[in-house]
Amino acid sequence: MKKNNKNILHKLILQTIGHEKRQQYMIPIFTIVLSLIFGLIVIALLGSNPFKAYYNLLQGSGLAPKASYAGHKGIITDFTSFLNALTPMLFAALAVLIALKAGLFNIGVSGQMLAAGFTATILIGYSDLPAVVAKPLTVLIGFIVGALAGALVGWLKHRFNINEVVSTIMFNYIFQYVISFLINTFYVDPVSRQSKNVGAAGRLTLVDVVIGDYKMDIPLGILLAAVGIAVTAFLLNKTILGFEIKAVGSSIRAAEYAGIRVGRTRVLAMMLSGGFAGLAGVTYYMGYFASIQPKVLVSTGYDAIAVALLGNSSPIGIIFSSFLITVISKGSTYMNSASGVQAEIASAITGIILLFSACGAYVRYKVDRWKDEQKQTGRLASDGRATK
Amino acid sequence: MNTIIIDGLSFALPLFIMAIGGIYCERSGITNLAIEGLQGFGAFCGALFAVCIAQYFAGNSPIPFYLAMLFAFLGGMLFSLLHAMLCIKFKANQVISGVVINILAMALTEFMTKQINASIFGAASNKFVLGVSARLTVPGLSRIPVLGAVFTNLYPFEIVIAVIAVIAWYVLYKTRFGLHLRACGDNPHAVDAAGIEVSRVRLVAVMASGALSGLGGICFAYSISANFSSNIYSGYGYLAIAALIFGNWKIMPTLGACLLFGFARSGGYELVKVLEMPSSYQDLVMVLPYVLTLLMLIFFSKKNHSPKALGEIYDKGAR
Repeated sequence: MKKNNKNILHKLILQTIGHEKRQQYMIPIFTIVLSLIFGLIVIALLGSNPFKAYYNLLQGSGLAPKASYAGHKGIITDFTSFLNALTPMLFAALAVLIALKAGLFNIGVSGQMLAAGFTATILIGYSDLPAVVAKPLTVLIGFIVGALAGALVGWLKHRFNINEVVSTIMFNYIFQYVISFLINTFYVDPVSRQSKNVGAAGRLTLVDVVIGDYKMDIPLGILLAAVGIAVTAFLLNKTILGFEIKAVGSSIRAAEYAGIRVGRTRVLAMMLSGGFAGLAGVTYYMGYFASIQPKVLVSTGYDAIAVALLGNSSPIGIIFSSFLITVISKGSTYMNSASGVQAEIASAITGIILLFSACGAYVRYKVDRWKDEQKQTGRLASDGRATK
Repeated sequence: MNTIIIDGLSFALPLFIMAIGGIYCERSGITNLAIEGLQGFGAFCGALFAVCIAQYFAGNSPIPFYLAMLFAFLGGMLFSLLHAMLCIKFKANQVISGVVINILAMALTEFMTKQINASIFGAASNKFVLGVSARLTVPGLSRIPVLGAVFTNLYPFEIVIAVIAVIAWYVLYKTRFGLHLRACGDNPHAVDAAGIEVSRVRLVAVMASGALSGLGGICFAYSISANFSSNIYSGYGYLAIAALIFGNWKIMPTLGACLLFGFARSGGYELVKVLEMPSSYQDLVMVLPYVLTLLMLIFFSKKNHSPKALGEIYDKGAR
């Protein structure tokens, strides 16, 4: 009987995530559902209504109406603000994804963001260039600085065999402290204790645009992010470089044997990855925000790892996963004020999502095993019938 | 000069004990990038316990500190089971698993610290205040010129670490288990053929790594930061990894690397003080260990040899 139960369970799981084509998105959905249930239980144990808390997340992200709004605010302003927060996340996720495809792990996205954002801030943000010139320059500088930082990591890996995880983290701290020093010495705003605000001309978000009755922030970077996703998808699926990147990521030996220059491909992949991180940086520090807080590394770079893994490292997948993670992190502030649940639970849920995502490969393996077992028992049963 | 040695040692030794944990883990063939998260979670467990029992002891009693160390040890070990499960049982990518553990530890401890402070202690705070542990000076030995500084103003944990380090060295190099462990990292199939279970040896190694990382974490919490908060995640775990790579996965050279980090850091602070620079220059000093790490990795990564089976999932069928 016990064995029977187990078989039924296996069958149930097989029916939902057994199909190979469907596995691509069924396993992430499984992951999300499990993580949300975990969050549900924790919030309930803390004595709040979990469903209300989750609804608060949607309200805080402009996906559901709040009970009341301040003047010139509405669900649409919340939503544009949500898009504003989503933009850097999309870029950061692209950065992690491209590196991941090449078998590299870029956890220095936050540091690269900071370096790019800071350089663009002092070069463009504090200049008097007109908006038509300043905005493209911001984007360009962001990409170049990020790409250089990324390429350096790739080169260190190729030339000196330095694990990219360790080197990117070292760079994270180096950027963080050096830039904090520079801000505190030269660019600090004595009131806010942050860097001075950048001018509106170079900023990638149009602030306080009056449309109808509402004052909203319009992120220009979201269009750029859409282009970035399309370009990445094209690059990975339709170009030689994309194929080489994926080949190196799957097996270095096979790639070498096929005549692919592994070192060059890795450096290029890291360069692209850093470039996207740089774009995330400028859309964050010169779009979503207008200043840099010294000594703080944003969590976007780490959340982006969860986004990329959850999105099955596919450019289309990360649209959905970054949407979800941004809802959780952006809505958590409102959830805190409305339901009294600590905002930090957002990152805890993200962490759990990440944990379950890491088990994805095992789930796939296990499901395949069960499938084989079932085939075998099925065959045995039919064989039995045949002999009778 | 004396302060450089005293402060340098108190930074280097916790780093050293975490690096030893890392050596155990990596010599058994499991890549361990999770040290950062393990030390944070261990420190969280220790700090939580210390804060909970603090009211039963006098303000200057050292007992909460020792109990905190014990619980940090256990907490780190407990959390490392997650890494072991992902890497050994679930056959996940070990690098990804390590990063996942780090992010999860950061998120969980930050959330729980705030939640526990709010619901049990009724305070809106994101840290557990611990204070700095008492220091002691060895009479006699401390009067030796220059070297005497090693025995002056010691934190008690430095002695504990020294003792554990000696035991760890003995176990790794002089016992049968140590031999099995090192063999698991180089040729797990041979170990399997000798009738020893590879996954069990690796499990013990990962747990040892977690326990020692937790111990290192609570030492930092009781000395540098004097509290437990998210500040504990300032890359100590990664410094330990760099130290063990620099030390070629051997215990004694790793000690040298840790000492170098410690003295570079305390020397830099001393320099800022002596030259009377404004305090924002301390940020530049903070960069020193990280820059040193990169430079050392550049010079030593090529020459050093990692354990042969490091990072490979052990597959019994693949011979």
